[in-house]
Amino acid sequence: MKAVIPSGPQGPEGFSPPPLQKVRVWDAPTRLFHWALAAAFAGEWLTRDARYIVPHEFLGYAIGLLVLFRLVWGFTGTRWARFASFPLSISAALAYLRGLTRRSQSHHTGHNPAGSWAIYALLALAAFQVASGIVTLGAEQQLGPLAGRLSYSVGDTAHELHESLAWAMLAVVGLHLVGVVVGSLLERENLVGSMLTGLKRATAASAVQPRRGVAFALAAMLGMIALAFFRGDSLDALAGARVRAPLTQDASWKSECGSCHMPYHPSLLPARSWSAMWEHSQDHFGEDLALQEPTAAHLAAFAAAHAADALESNVAWKIATTTPAQAAPLRVSETPYWKKRHARLDAQTWKSVHPSECNACHRDAESGAFSPRAIEVAARPAAAPRKAS
Amino acid sequence: MNMRRFLLVRLPVALCLAAGCGAWAAPVDELLQEYQAQGGKDFNAAAGDKLWHQFFKDPKGGEDRRCALCHTSDLRATGKHAVTGKAIKPLAPSVNPERLADKSKIEKWLERNCKWTIGRACTPQEKGDVLVMIRSK
Repeated sequence: MKAVIPSGPQGPEGFSPPPLQKVRVWDAPTRLFHWALAAAFAGEWLTRDARYIVPHEFLGYAIGLLVLFRLVWGFTGTRWARFASFPLSISAALAYLRGLTRRSQSHHTGHNPAGSWAIYALLALAAFQVASGIVTLGAEQQLGPLAGRLSYSVGDTAHELHESLAWAMLAVVGLHLVGVVVGSLLERENLVGSMLTGLKRATAASAVQPRRGVAFALAAMLGMIALAFFRGDSLDALAGARVRAPLTQDASWKSECGSCHMPYHPSLLPARSWSAMWEHSQDHFGEDLALQEPTAAHLAAFAAAHAADALESNVAWKIATTTPAQAAPLRVSETPYWKKRHARLDAQTWKSVHPSECNACHRDAESGAFSPRAIEVAARPAAAPRKAS
Repeated sequence: MNMRRFLLVRLPVALCLAAGCGAWAAPVDELLQEYQAQGGKDFNAAAGDKLWHQFFKDPKGGEDRRCALCHTSDLRATGKHAVTGKAIKPLAPSVNPERLADKSKIEKWLERNCKWTIGRACTPQEKGDVLVMIRSK
């Protein structure tokens, strides 16, 4: 639907376009959907670090529901909210963009043909992000509706896609914003304001009825889901017994290794690293371990059985698959996966926490689980400077 | 009898035995006998104390090492591993009854920590002196 604003010489004799006035074009549910999705998307970026996984998960589920609502509303909503009012047409979008370069002033009551593309792209990307997020969560962390049903390898692929497509979505959001600014200038209408008030310059016949009841119901539903989510892991409860058993622990390992440092679970290094560890046990980072039999054999057997190569946890899988086959790192912090996951931490963090102290931030470090939900970034006073050895 | 030796060794041992901490006295006594058989004699807490605070050159050029570097000068205090920073529970049996209770643990840690701190295994004399000193705390 398109209304042409007369400009320059008058049209043919007798033609008089209907008068334009401020009328309601965007119904309340559409506006609420738009701003809720925008806020949730911004929130997802702010919570992309593993330590904010809980709000990140919640916002993801919220986006899923918003997209679902929008799909329904695209068929049942008011005139300009329906998909039928903004078809996905390449030729129309190209014609619109060509029109921009000629500065021909066309005014669209609903979405313009280029903006339609941004909207469908954002809806599709949002839906994909929710799906890839749920797959990642279910496969890597064994949480959420798909917990325990997928392999670590599937989780890894989904995680990579989730991260890449997030950038794609950010790019489309950027294009959308550019389009809004350009459109506002060319159409001489504050399109941001329109999405807030619902009012646009259009013919009286274009006006839609406000649908505040639906908007209220949508807001109430999101609020109730937020309450349910943050009061208990109800979605995780669905997974129940499908979650894999916790990693094997060993008392002797904990007391021997734990005397001098946090007892790193064997799943954090490949078996070849542990072999090298025992080979150099007389110079274990400058100390002679002085291991006696049968303790030495027991520790070696435990490490060999539950090393990263055994792929008994997501972290083990990641470390085993990303550490080069010819490398046998003796420190967990030398593995590519550790480095990748800690790249965003600044120098200030390492002044108060030593990389060897996993348990300063990972509450479940000793078990080897390293769930993102167990991360609490240490807020400790700076420790005394460490001595090199 | 040497009064000094009586105050530093015999009296604490006697008091401790009287206080019912014989559980940990036994492994140390056993070890002291072994060290004696290996040539140690007149184990002396003052000598152990001296060794405890003596600096030894770190071969890699770091801070000079001594027992007190990690265990602090006060054996009743919590220590700190010089490299990893991990807390080390107090060594003094008076505040940490787990200490000196396990013969193989004592031997293991004397072996490891002598090598790291002094750069060589300790002599039976040194080990005996330090054990007597720790027991007195």
